[in-house]
Amino acid sequence: MSNSNRYVYGIVDSGDIEFETDAVAGADRVYTVSHRRLGAVVSNIDTTDPEETDEDAKRHDDVLREIMDYDGGRTIVPMQFGMAFESDRTLKNVLRGARPAFRRAMNDIEGRIELGLKLVTQEDASVDPEEIEAAVEDELGPLAAQTVTNDQFSDRLVLNKSYLVDEDDRAAFDDGVARIEDTYGDDLLVQYTGPFAPYSFVDVEIGAQSR
Amino acid sequence: MFVLDDLLFRPFVGIIDALHSLALEELYDVDALEDERKENQLLYELGERSEEEYLERKEVIEEELEIAREVHEQFGSGRVEVKR
Repeated sequence: MSNSNRYVYGIVDSGDIEFETDAVAGADRVYTVSHRRLGAVVSNIDTTDPEETDEDAKRHDDVLREIMDYDGGRTIVPMQFGMAFESDRTLKNVLRGARPAFRRAMNDIEGRIELGLKLVTQEDASVDPEEIEAAVEDELGPLAAQTVTNDQFSDRLVLNKSYLVDEDDRAAFDDGVARIEDTYGDDLLVQYTGPFAPYSFVDVEIGAQSR
Repeated sequence: MFVLDDLLFRPFVGIIDALHSLALEELYDVDALEDERKENQLLYELGERSEEEYLERKEVIEEELEIAREVHEQFGSGRVEVKR
């Protein structure tokens, strides 16, 4: 099978990126395919329809984090898992076609990170979800540029949100989460995750016909 | 007699069909299983579930998910035969 397909992690603004890493589907090198000032960060792959295994989903995330730290920190418009293209040519066509959307997304997330917060009731604990949600909003709302409510996939989830936060506000946000944990720790389990590339705040749609 | 049979039994057959569909939906509810998979992962990450419990549960859920997806695929393609 040929390895001429390109698996895309995200889009960066100007400046090549290249490093060796443990990438999706066994690839060991990540690099940019550029069109004018936009670059798609890719690795080689032998399919345009990669299977989403837990391992590869984690590799996708890890590569995005490495890019965020690359060369003193880079802004990347992240792609969801599974975007792969037939060739450099089709990928460059996508970059050309979606350039305005990528530019807008880049502006929205420049200098910002995504942080996740899940609050889960301790077994047998009884809490008032509305009170907790209001307290969290008071504490963290003012520090977030944007907030997204995620899937309520469990009855024990009291809150499941993603926050887009300026990197400069990260420490204050950490302190806010710590105060929430101090206040509600007896009744709630707290899962605070990130920083991630801001998946939840980027809405660039690439048509399947572009693959 | 045919008309009488038809009038008497058709509504029941309709109800049985609907109940059967509902039962299949509930038994092979892909969304509910996906939620259960995420909950299992979350409780493991939070330390409430041991690795052994997590892996055991994960295996069961993934098997159920595979069956549920197959059933839905066959349902969609009309390949599931309802026997009465």
